[in-house]
Amino acid sequence: MKIKICGLFREEDIDFVNEAKPDFVGFVFAESHRQVSKETAKKLKNKLDKNILSVGVFVNENINKIAEICDENIIDFVQLHGDEDDKYISDLKKVCNKKIIKAVKVKNGEEIVRWRNSQADLLMFDAGMGEGKTFDWSLLKSFIRPYFLAGGINGNNVEQAIKLNPYCIDISSGVETNKVKDKNKILNIVRRVKMSNTRFGIYGGQYIPETLMNEIKNLEKQYEYYKNNPEFTDELNTLLKNYAGRPSLLYYAENMTKDLGGAKIYLKREDLNHTGSHKINNVLGQVLLAKKMGKTRVIAETGAGQHGVATATAAALLGMECEIFMGEEDTKRQALNVYRMKLLGAKVNAVTSGTKVLKDAVNEAMREWSKRVNDTHYVLGSVMGPHPFPTIVRDFQSVISKEAKQQILEYEKKLPYAVVACVGGGSNAMGMFYNFIEEKNVKLIGCEAAGKGLNTDKHAASIAKGEIGIFHGMKSYFCQDKYGQIAEVYSISAGLDYPGIGPEHAYLHDTGRAEYISITDEEAVSAFEYLARTEGIICAIESAHAVAHVRKIAPKIDKSESIIVCLSGRGDKDVAAIARYRGEEIYE
Amino acid sequence: MNRIESAFKNKKAFIPFITAGYPNINKTEDFIYKMVSAGADLIEIGIPFSDPVAEGPVIQESSQKALAAGTNLDKIFDLVKKVRKTVNIPLVFMTYVNPVFRYGYDNFFKQCSVTGIDGIIIPDLPFEEKNEISEYAKKYGIKIVSLIAPTSQQRIEDIAKEAEGFLYVVSSMGVTGERNEIKTDLKSIVDSVKKVTSVPTAIGFGIHSPQQANQMSKISDGVIVGSAIIKIIKQHGTDADSYIYDYVKSMKDSMNN
Repeated sequence: MKIKICGLFREEDIDFVNEAKPDFVGFVFAESHRQVSKETAKKLKNKLDKNILSVGVFVNENINKIAEICDENIIDFVQLHGDEDDKYISDLKKVCNKKIIKAVKVKNGEEIVRWRNSQADLLMFDAGMGEGKTFDWSLLKSFIRPYFLAGGINGNNVEQAIKLNPYCIDISSGVETNKVKDKNKILNIVRRVKMSNTRFGIYGGQYIPETLMNEIKNLEKQYEYYKNNPEFTDELNTLLKNYAGRPSLLYYAENMTKDLGGAKIYLKREDLNHTGSHKINNVLGQVLLAKKMGKTRVIAETGAGQHGVATATAAALLGMECEIFMGEEDTKRQALNVYRMKLLGAKVNAVTSGTKVLKDAVNEAMREWSKRVNDTHYVLGSVMGPHPFPTIVRDFQSVISKEAKQQILEYEKKLPYAVVACVGGGSNAMGMFYNFIEEKNVKLIGCEAAGKGLNTDKHAASIAKGEIGIFHGMKSYFCQDKYGQIAEVYSISAGLDYPGIGPEHAYLHDTGRAEYISITDEEAVSAFEYLARTEGIICAIESAHAVAHVRKIAPKIDKSESIIVCLSGRGDKDVAAIARYRGEEIYE
Repeated sequence: MNRIESAFKNKKAFIPFITAGYPNINKTEDFIYKMVSAGADLIEIGIPFSDPVAEGPVIQESSQKALAAGTNLDKIFDLVKKVRKTVNIPLVFMTYVNPVFRYGYDNFFKQCSVTGIDGIIIPDLPFEEKNEISEYAKKYGIKIVSLIAPTSQQRIEDIAKEAEGFLYVVSSMGVTGERNEIKTDLKSIVDSVKKVTSVPTAIGFGIHSPQQANQMSKISDGVIVGSAIIKIIKQHGTDADSYIYDYVKSMKDSMNN
């Protein structure tokens, strides 16, 4: 999201913005107490940081006069704030080579529809002109063209404005004191808008070494471009359909429903995807993106090996070199997956640093990335890490809820009572939640790993037992000690064995939109066995955490309601571990 | 003039790094005195963190061992307070953002000021996130030392403009640890820095030999060495004192040539 500071007329105003670095500034050429002459504007523009674009604001001005100012490059954009119509805009375009923003004063929303197909390069919606009043922003909710939001935005409502997700936020009187620009107000608001780009509330951010910053910024830019690029999305959708096997089934678990005697239970069968879990949704997206970005090599971390196998698979398919980082402990526990990755042509590095598990694999993958950013993309496996990873992974996983929402509406003709998913870093849960977030009546429930119990130190419940911290590039909840040392966590499920949780989950938790509960090893193993017996489905031990919670709540919910459980993966990989848990040693 | 400025005044600064609490906190105190008497101009004290993503294996291991030996931030502040009684050169913390965050920014920087810390280096707190701590660091007069990497390019100017204390120029991509060859065009990086600020620069990552120190000191205002010192401690343990002295002296001397 960009920010424009409008109505600069003093030299010191330029000092303020040069320090704050908004994306745009505005010079008002129309009658106003902020009006500037061409000469003043020229002087101010010369003083302005070259990375800040200037916008000239005009009201029903003579076209040739605007063209003259444009020709002298005093402004980079023209903003029309009067009664100009589309004819005026096309005439102006003939004599002026700058992009045109048409400001539309919103009264009842009819104007928003009327200007939808305007010739202007960009639209701006405003309540009036610099009087500091707002209009009913909800009118813009479904507007899809990029737009500037203006009118009465200030330090008190900027967060609400950010939530609308406009292309740019335009502020003038909101950063003034006694009718002149206030340096601290400008600094404050620019920082808040810029910070919001990398955050969910206070969570998220980009806490990574300088070595990686330019690459992360590049990823951000490239992703913004490709996510709306039809060629890219077509290619990805084709892979999801023809290679991964999407859409995945939404299966009505009739036996389980009857047995529990409450709400109807539906299973979103991500376990049926190619490679056996939801991980493929994200890796196909990221590896394809990496390829478009000109990378020739991908690296990834893995815990149980699901994400590693998926990444190695996508790399094999798309012809990329692939290296996987896996904690040494995990390579022993999941030897089969190690060999699988090797079969797929990937190199597997056993990580011997730290505690030799998933978090250490993430550390090592980050270290490796910082050595080789030029040809390498780091395919992060969950909705975690520095921005933009939590957003990228969530977007690629949101196909789960996009399909599930359509499917449940088809089967039940109404939305579900709740959607339930297991949470480690939280990618299948974010995918399952995402398209239901706006449906306030649908409960979102994430199931963390309580391991041997929350009253022991053998768990991985970041929300129940963690504290806010900053680690692996993000601010979120982490299991840690009082000095901020990251804790060793435990779960029977290697995929949930991570000391943190993605920042969007932290935000959904704090705002009360989602609920996070914990499930012990014992409950998960028993749910694993239960699902196998009642439905003939052997699910991943991770997913069994979600099944376990549904066993608890379904009987209490009315039969007319439904619950969707995300079955994030299949359980072949866990069979030996479950046997061991039950005291049986099995050999292949 | 603050202590950091005087460390670079009319000389090239040699900056050794030491992991606090490795092999134990009392030896860290001894090692600091040795480094000072061998001619160190500024000392970086590493607050060990469980997951140091910018570190190579040598410093990683020292951090783990220091933590296992019971090192924590309160003990490190006690150590700083003690050495500050006799040590007059600047002392700068090097750590990760989470230990600072959990301690509480206000409390942390207050303790820095009370015990005599002059600056802080936090590799996982880039320019964009500096606001996390800048208000508190300023309040207690602690300088935030920013890093510039070989990939920083157009970011150099922004970072340098707001630089204080000194600028840590990362010699090469990847993590800390000895390198035989440094290929980055460091001179052009330092030149771009100098265009916008008079804050001194010090080069770190990979430097271990007196020849390298000599070479780097011709490009920049200072040289930072970490892994090579930690390796000496790893080899000689609690008996490393004289080896550290000799090493620091040889590095410092090479820079005066």
